[in-house]
Amino acid sequence: MIEVKQLSHQFELGKKDKKTVIPVLQDVSFSVTKGEIVTLVGRSGSGKSTLLHLIGGFLPRQSGAITINGTDVSNFTEAQFAEFRLGTIGFIFQNFQLIQSMTAYQNVELPLILQGVSETARKIQALETLEKVGLKGFEHHYPSELSGGQQQRVSVARALVLNPLIILADEPTGSLDSETEEDLLHLIKELNDSLDITFLIITHDDEVAKIGHRSLMMHDGALIDQEVK
Amino acid sequence: MLFKDQLYFVRENMKKNKMRIFMTVLATAMGTAFLIVLASVAFGLHDTLIKDVLEQETVNQVQIYGKDDPNSQGITDEDIDYFQSLEHVRAVRKQSYLRQSPRVSLNGYETSPHTVAVDMGALETGGTPLEDGRYATSSDEVVVGYHFYEQLLKEDTDPEDMYDENGERIDDTLYQGAVIGETIDLTVSRLINETDTEEKTYQVTIVGVTAEPANEWQQDQTLYTTFDFYQSVSEYTGTPGGELYFQEEPMDLTFYYDEVTIQSNNLENIQTLTKTINDEGYYGYSVASELKQINMLFTIAKAGLIFIGAIAVIIASIGIFNTMTMAVTERAPDIGIMKAIGASPKTIKQIFLLESSIIGIMGATIGTLVSYLISFLVNIGLPMILEAVFEEQLPDGFQFSSIPWTLVIIAYTICLLVTLISGSRPAKKATKIDVLSALRREL
Repeated sequence: MIEVKQLSHQFELGKKDKKTVIPVLQDVSFSVTKGEIVTLVGRSGSGKSTLLHLIGGFLPRQSGAITINGTDVSNFTEAQFAEFRLGTIGFIFQNFQLIQSMTAYQNVELPLILQGVSETARKIQALETLEKVGLKGFEHHYPSELSGGQQQRVSVARALVLNPLIILADEPTGSLDSETEEDLLHLIKELNDSLDITFLIITHDDEVAKIGHRSLMMHDGALIDQEVK
Repeated sequence: MLFKDQLYFVRENMKKNKMRIFMTVLATAMGTAFLIVLASVAFGLHDTLIKDVLEQETVNQVQIYGKDDPNSQGITDEDIDYFQSLEHVRAVRKQSYLRQSPRVSLNGYETSPHTVAVDMGALETGGTPLEDGRYATSSDEVVVGYHFYEQLLKEDTDPEDMYDENGERIDDTLYQGAVIGETIDLTVSRLINETDTEEKTYQVTIVGVTAEPANEWQQDQTLYTTFDFYQSVSEYTGTPGGELYFQEEPMDLTFYYDEVTIQSNNLENIQTLTKTINDEGYYGYSVASELKQINMLFTIAKAGLIFIGAIAVIIASIGIFNTMTMAVTERAPDIGIMKAIGASPKTIKQIFLLESSIIGIMGATIGTLVSYLISFLVNIGLPMILEAVFEEQLPDGFQFSSIPWTLVIIAYTICLLVTLISGSRPAKKATKIDVLSALRREL
């Protein structure tokens, strides 16, 4: 489902004459099969977020290759990646990244709007998805009126609503307390079991790492180990 | 993304900053109103002038003054037949001026009118209606102009006693009776040698009076006779048209028309007709060709005023640029989220361009409505102000401001174009927003 080959990346900081080059990824290669939950663990600055952003198309690739669901996305333009992302990849962010001026329903409806789905069809899909994540009755609540756990569920519903093949999650439980974290992990497991969605989750939380079929360990921009459960 | 949804997005975004949007729309509306009102003056004056020209009865006529042929002495019946054979010709009105002003006597009043021999049939079809009576049918009948009676003076009247201190004609000096049915003595002269003259008096009856000319300033004091009468005078004097000229040898009295007026059946065909006639070697002139110059002059004036007005719209567009730039900056986190989900740069750009276009359309619509109101008030108020302040009365039908639909289309196009240009840079900026930076700002 996801295949990363010899991916390297570096950031350039400073002005022209005083440029500092910081390597963040070095020759990273791994693959994720369909229906797998893979967690990427490592300390801060180990390069796991950069790796996720490259796979998600938020950063332009410098070297190496990325194939998602058989499509080589290595040379995609921003517009091509946006279109590809919409139908294939869902995102869950640590800070939920919900649009504050929109209700839970409107946030979940947003990907359907971008895909050009008709109003009637998207109403059904958005409400069903909100129900699936346990937010029935919270449709008209704004993010500020929801708890952290509920906001993250809205974020999951938004990632799910277009039935993606892959969900990329960046520290999904980072802003949640232990009880809501447990609920969310249970939900992810359930979605993986029932819908066969592939998850690639970044975390440095052991509890999160436990739900994965595999854990990839990163250190200083390189994959150093993997643990199969 | 469906257009309906783009509109929904724009509406929601505009609701978030109602005051700022209102002020931007207001500035655009003021710019558009300035453009339309300014240009409407040129349109209004043009319309008034065109209307004035079109009201002249001569507007759909081609006047023929001669022929570009060294052997030709003037327009003959042969030429008249050619004119009548042309397409779009309704009537050919021909006339010849008597080369002397005969003395007219009517019940003790006298005058020496300008006398013209005309084709009475063509006078009727050629748009010279009668106020009263009928057209002349024989050489002893004449038709007189509407103002003919005004120049009839009592034989002993001193011209100085004809007008009062205000320059107005004193009623008592005017001929009071009806002229139709009256028989007048028409006296013509001829030279019998280099110095001596003799006279002949014709008795003719006035059978008709022409209608009042369309414009107040036009005076018709002419005496209209038939060509038979004209020929009869020519034969008496032995000179063409009764010219006071003495020559031992008999002169050539071949009849020529001094002026031929061709009337077109339609105003639209007048320029084609004039061109055809001129191409054939005649000297033709039509008022319609003056219209072309008037139109050209006003087109330049309109373009100039629209250009000046467009500057106001361009100034208003600075407001749009500012509003849209602020909107993009404020919404950067939302744009980042939308891009992260899968919104393409094209979709983001379309939303912002649509928003600036809507501001432009709203401004143009309000500006147009206000312009119509201003135009209406100006057309009503200005004549009243001019009358009150300068004691000047504007002519009937005078229009100071006119807003045709073409001006509205031009204003909308300029406004939309300017708003699209001013909105395009912020829209482009929105597409360049970096997803990761925007998401970090949201934190």
